[in-house]
Order: sequence, then structure tokens, then C-alpha cells
Amino acid sequence: MTTATTPAPTRSPLPEMPVRVIKRVGLTLVRNRPLLLVILTIVLVLFMSLGHREQFLTTSNFQAVLVNAAQSGILVVGMMVLMIGGSFDLSIGSILALSGVVSGVLIVDHEMSILVAVLGGIAAGAICGLINGLIVTKIRINALIATLATMGIFRGITQLISGTGVGIITDDFARIGQSVWLGLQSPFWLMLGIAAAGSFLVSQTRFFRQYYFIGGNERAARLSGIRTQRMILIAFILMGTLAGFAGVLGAARLNSAVVSAGIGVELQVITAAVLGGASLKGGEGSVIGGVLGVFFIALVANSLIILQVDVFWQNIIVGLVLLVAVSLDRWKQVTSA
Amino acid sequence: MTGHSAVPSKSDAATARLRVAGNREAPLLVLENVVKEFHGVQALKAVSLSSHPGEVHALVGENGAGKSTLMKIIAGAQHPDSGEVRLAGQSLTGIDEHTAGQRGIGMVHQERSLVPQLSVAENMFAGRQPVRMGNSVDWKEMRRRADALLAQLRAPIRADTLVGYLSPAQQQMVEIAKALSLDLKVLILDEPTASLTVNETEHLFDVVRELSAQGVSTIYISHRLAEVFQIADTVTVLKDGAVAGRSSVDQIDEAGLMRLMVGRDVDLDRRATSPAGTGTPALELRHLSSPPRVRDASLTVHAGEIVCLAGLVGAGRTELCEAVFGVRGTAGEILINGEPYRIGSPADAMRSGVGMIPEDRKSAGLFLDMSIAENLTATNLGAVSRLGLVSRKESRKLAQDFVERLRIATPNIDLAVGQLSGGNQQKVLLAKWLARSPKILLVDEPTRGVDVGARADIYAVLRSLADAGTAVLVVSSDLPEVLTLADRIVVMSEGQTTGELQGADATELAILELASIHVHSDGSQS
Repeated sequence: MTTATTPAPTRSPLPEMPVRVIKRVGLTLVRNRPLLLVILTIVLVLFMSLGHREQFLTTSNFQAVLVNAAQSGILVVGMMVLMIGGSFDLSIGSILALSGVVSGVLIVDHEMSILVAVLGGIAAGAICGLINGLIVTKIRINALIATLATMGIFRGITQLISGTGVGIITDDFARIGQSVWLGLQSPFWLMLGIAAAGSFLVSQTRFFRQYYFIGGNERAARLSGIRTQRMILIAFILMGTLAGFAGVLGAARLNSAVVSAGIGVELQVITAAVLGGASLKGGEGSVIGGVLGVFFIALVANSLIILQVDVFWQNIIVGLVLLVAVSLDRWKQVTSA
Repeated sequence: MTGHSAVPSKSDAATARLRVAGNREAPLLVLENVVKEFHGVQALKAVSLSSHPGEVHALVGENGAGKSTLMKIIAGAQHPDSGEVRLAGQSLTGIDEHTAGQRGIGMVHQERSLVPQLSVAENMFAGRQPVRMGNSVDWKEMRRRADALLAQLRAPIRADTLVGYLSPAQQQMVEIAKALSLDLKVLILDEPTASLTVNETEHLFDVVRELSAQGVSTIYISHRLAEVFQIADTVTVLKDGAVAGRSSVDQIDEAGLMRLMVGRDVDLDRRATSPAGTGTPALELRHLSSPPRVRDASLTVHAGEIVCLAGLVGAGRTELCEAVFGVRGTAGEILINGEPYRIGSPADAMRSGVGMIPEDRKSAGLFLDMSIAENLTATNLGAVSRLGLVSRKESRKLAQDFVERLRIATPNIDLAVGQLSGGNQQKVLLAKWLARSPKILLVDEPTRGVDVGARADIYAVLRSLADAGTAVLVVSSDLPEVLTLADRIVVMSEGQTTGELQGADATELAILELASIHVHSDGSQS
């Protein structure tokens, strides 16, 4: 309705109608993030297919992109729930490394079974999430500072446990992350399952819908009978558990647990979530959007490699994408105000 | 009603000054036809006022009469749309707070304006710190001057203490000392005794009398009419943004002031006449307290009854609702249908059939970016879900239903609630709770910022809710609203319930009397 009432710029070089139409289409796309991301992804694929068909448009390249995106794809589900609820977690990279190392150490140093190792790694992640959640909801430290602190703490604990990491674990353990089905490694399929489940739960269930209210207006949510603090705590535990799972999976795929795993992953995941419609003030976003955001960023990274852009440019580009995504969010708010 | 003749003041010095001031000396502060409008509402309609050197001029009126706006205009915090403010013959038009301070106008705000993390001295000289060569702050000089001012007030406060460590009363003293640090000509006190004990109040009055003797003109705003007679020389009554009357304090009594505040012959033939409910009350509070605002509140609400909780802003009515709804901790007894009831959170309260519509609909009641349907879903997740899954269809049906029932004016139920008018927002908030069919509904200021038409709709909805057997407790500062809506009226003052009114006893005058009862720290009332 706003586009219709907005007066055309006084000295617009374009006729009135096209300006309106462009603005309306733009606003629709910014509001419907999954659609925007699908279009952006198609545009990128077409562009790359034109100039670099033989490297880009191959099965093996797409396999690599999809499997590499699996880790962020799992993480973005938890991050999306947190961000819808108006919070976020910077410590996910450290949790991921800690969980991988815990499962590696359980097998190599303590000769535990693979099942125990996997569960142990995931439990370590869940405990980290619980700690984050307790700091945020009980001590009432804001999520930025709390998870910035635990990001350092969890990474430090990882190093204390294993020094530089756990070398070769076992082939049985590696099978969890390396077995192939329909040409794609297991992390991709596990990610797909988690994303599908997460998308259904967040969009349809009574329990997860509460996060939209908490992020939309925390005080009003509390006065509407939603147990906001408990819900935020649960979201942090969920995030930690997913990060733990991603960490174990990553260690299995490499058959080794490195202490430097997951450094910088929070930037990619938060960028993907914001691209997918999450806003830092909460109340918005969808799991599908977040997962599409992850794929788009993975594809951008892949394209940069094929275009032989220096690898150091990747972080710069991802950072710029985050800024653009947040600006879109601002533009949407200003335009609809 | 000029009132500047031989007024027997509480201070001989001030009296002497006033006698001289009376007719010969020109007034120090003059306001002429000051008009101020906010979003189409006239807060001040051509208000004129003058004050002489040494005079204590009290300003009284109901909530929303325009007192605070008037003070802010004098202090330069707001600018009049038309009219003029003059200090000693000089126009103050267009000046800001800083300049007003330089000219000698000091204001002690109702809300504290001190920075708790900084010292007393820094707060007193904020932005006006004495400086040495090179423009660096002269800390020693600042502390010395602050200490001297505090000593003048006989306040046992050290200038280098952090303000955050001081009690509310001590902070009040710092505010006054801050005003004194100016070359003070006019002192504005906005509800200065709200947080003071009896002794501290007496002490404050001594200070004001001393300042009067020095020729400072004081504008004194208070809800406590007894104080007006203790300290003021002249009193001006504001009502609905206009001067309803002016008198010297020795030519009027408390009842006369109240009549001016109410402003019209009080209509006795209002509601508040239904027979009291019988049997076990749906909600009963016995000596409920929830520090610091609720100290001792007892009341009952029966099923099918609307009880209005009247009182002045800050009397603890909102906090009482929040206590019953589990937002804040309580001591004392709450009974629902005669059963003792323990609540730890709003979710607990809702399980016992209690609902609360908060005062501030934007920050506490609604999800402004979300649609009407989603807002209704927040309190009715259970009702619109099947097997733990939210049914969009059910949610929309619920919203459609209430849009029609409450006549919410909206193009569709998907519109973000923030885009609706105040009245329609309030209806959405009401619908959020009506859909739950609560057994007990607490409603805090149901018609604030709501236009007349929507107001009538809201009254009708609350009445039909009560007729359907809900116990309704309404907090309202709007006296005509209280009289229209209530079956019974309970009045609160300073955290205590001070009386109950019904039938012919329920008049605006009687409510005001009960609402201005002063509660001493030992719990006794006067």
C-alpha cells in the first residue's frame, strides 16, 4: 500500500509508472527472501555457466558445493531459531571445534565406541549451548558479549583437551561423514533432513511459533503468557546441539578433529540467516530462507574460486553480502513505514 | 481573584516580601496566552499566569490538565505554538533549556534527570563545569561550590558521592541543589514530595521559604492539596489545558479547590449503582503488597461486576494489576473464587483464568509489526492449534470473527497492527484477551489515546463481558470514565486502598478526596 501512496520523485527522469512498478517488485522480493534468493542463485548459475561451463557446470563441482555447504546448513537452522527470537550466538565455531575434538579424544584416547563418541560430542555441544543460554537468561548478559566471551573460552578448552587436535581417528568413525548416497556424501543428506524438519517445526508448530512473538516484542510476549526466558534458553541449547552435531560430522568427514575447525563460521551463518530474512531485532525469518542463504553464499565462494579470485577476497565478499542484506532490511523498514 | 493583597504566608520574610510585591512591583515571570498542541490535541489553551518575586505559586489540576507541559514551556524544554513567556520583562521565546538555566530558571523534574554513574558535583554542574585555563574542568572548584550549595540546603550529602548510591530523597535534594547552582530567579518544582518522607518534606518547605525570602519565585506543582495550603501563597487550577480558577490560598479551602479541579457540577446519576455482587468474590486481595509501589491493598471483584480502581498516577494501581498477573512478586493473599492462589508468571495467571490488558499497548501489549491474526494468536496458541500445529485457517477465522464483533476498522486482517489507529489497536488488544474468555480480566487504562467513538465501543465490550460473568477490574485515571463504567469504585493512594465508593457516594469529589490521602511510612493515613 505504501508504494501506491508514495509520491513519485519530483524530477524523476523515468515516467511515473515504471518507477512504481520497479519499487513494488523490489519490495516484494525483499519481503519474500526465499524467492529473492532463488532468483539470485539462478542468475549466478546462468552467469557462471556462460563463461565457465567446463569448470562450473559439472556434477563434481555441484557435489562439492552442496557437501561444503552442509555444515553451515545445519548451523543456520539453530541460528535462525535464535534470531527469530531476537538473539544470536557467536560461539558456534568454537562449539563445533570442541565437539569434534571431544568425539575424537573419546575414540583415540579413551577407546570408546563410536556411538558413545558421537553422543559425547553432541552432548558437549549441548552443554556449551546450555552455558550460553544460562548466561544470557539468568545472569542477563546480552548475547553479543556472552557468546563473544564463550567463543574464546570454548576454543581455549578445545586446545586444552587436545593441543593441536586429534590426527587420524578411525575408519569406522570416518564412515559417518564420508559414506555416499546418490553421489553425495552423508553430511549433505543429514543437513537436508535437519533443514526440512527445522523448516516444518518453525513454520508450523505451536511451540516454535512462540519465537516469533518473543522476537517481535519480548515484553508483550511475556504478558501474553509466553515463558520467554525458558524459550531463549531452549533455543541456545538447540543451537549448541546442532553445532555439536555439525562438529562431530565435520571431524568424521575429515577423519580428524582440528582445533581450528569452524573459525569464522559465525560470520557465514549469520550472513546467510540475514540474507534469508532474519533481522537483528528479531521476529522475522524462515528456515528455508536461511538454508537458501547458505547455498547462495557457498555458490558465491565457489564462483570466486573458479574465477580465480584470491581466496582472501572470500571473507571480504561475505562481509559485503552481510552489509547489503542488512541494508535491504533497513530499506524495507523505511519504505513500509 | 488577584490575590496578592496581604496574604498571611507561612514565612514572615516571604510575607513581607509579598506585601511589597503585591501591587507595586512588577511580576517576575509572566505567561501570556500560551497555546500548545500535540498531534491535534490542545494540551494548553491560552493559559496566562504571573508570579512575583518571593511568591510561591501552586499549580494544581487532574492528570493531563496540562501542568507538566506548562512547566516544560517555562523551562525551555518545549516551545509554545503561540503566546509568550517573559522573565523580568524579557521574552523567553525560542530559548532552550540551557539558556533558560542561564537566565535563572531552574526546574526540578518529576522524573529524575540525574546520571547515576557520575558524582553529585558533576551532575549539579553538567555542561556548566567551572574551568581553568585551557578549558579543563576545575574539579576542586566544582566540588567546593557543590559542597557549599549542599550545605546551604543542610543536606548531608558529599559532592563526590556517586548519585547512584543516594536515596530517592537525597537525589531530590541534589536536583534542587542543581537548580540553586544557577543564578536562580524562578524555581519550578514538579511533584517534589512524591518520594519524600514527612520530615524531608518539611525540610524542603524550609528551603523553599528561605528562597522566597531571597526573592526567588517558586512554581509548585502538586497533587497533594494539603501541601498547597502549607507552602503556597497563590494557587492556579488547570483543567483540560485552561485556567479553571485562581485564588490566594487564604481565600479558598480544599473542597473549593477540588470543585475547581473537577470543573462542573458533579453528576450523581451515573452508574456505580449496581448492587454489590454476592457470594464468593471471583477475585479477592487481602493486604496485598508488592514493594515499592503497592503497600497494602485489599479489594474484591465479583463475577459479573466491573470494579474501577481510581487514584492518581503513581498510586500503585498498575503495579497492583501486574502483581495479580504474576509480573512482580507479592506478599499478602490473593484468592480466586475463595481459593488461595500462587502465581509466579503471567503463564501461571492465565492458567487460573486471569488476563491483563496492559497500560502501554505499544510496548507491552501488541506486536506492532505483526498482523491482527498473529496478534490474536499470541494469547490463543492453544485454541488455534491442533496436535501442536498452528492452524492458519483457525487463526484467521478467529481474527475475522473479532474484527467483526469489535468493529475493528481495517481493510483486512493481514495488516500490521502498527498501522491501525489508536482506538483500533486498543480493540485488537482487547480481542487478544476476549478470545480467551477470561474469568478475571484486569484492564489498565482501557481508553488512553482512544477517540470518542472507539471509547463507547470499548465500554460496551467491557460491559457485555461482565454481563457474561467475567469479573472485570479497570484501572482508570479518567474520572468521568470511572463513573460511567464502574459498578463499584475502589480508590488507591500511595500504594494503599483508601476507600470504596458506590451509588450516590460515588462522586468525582469523593474520589479525589480518597485519592489524595497521604499515607505515612508507618501505614497511617491522613
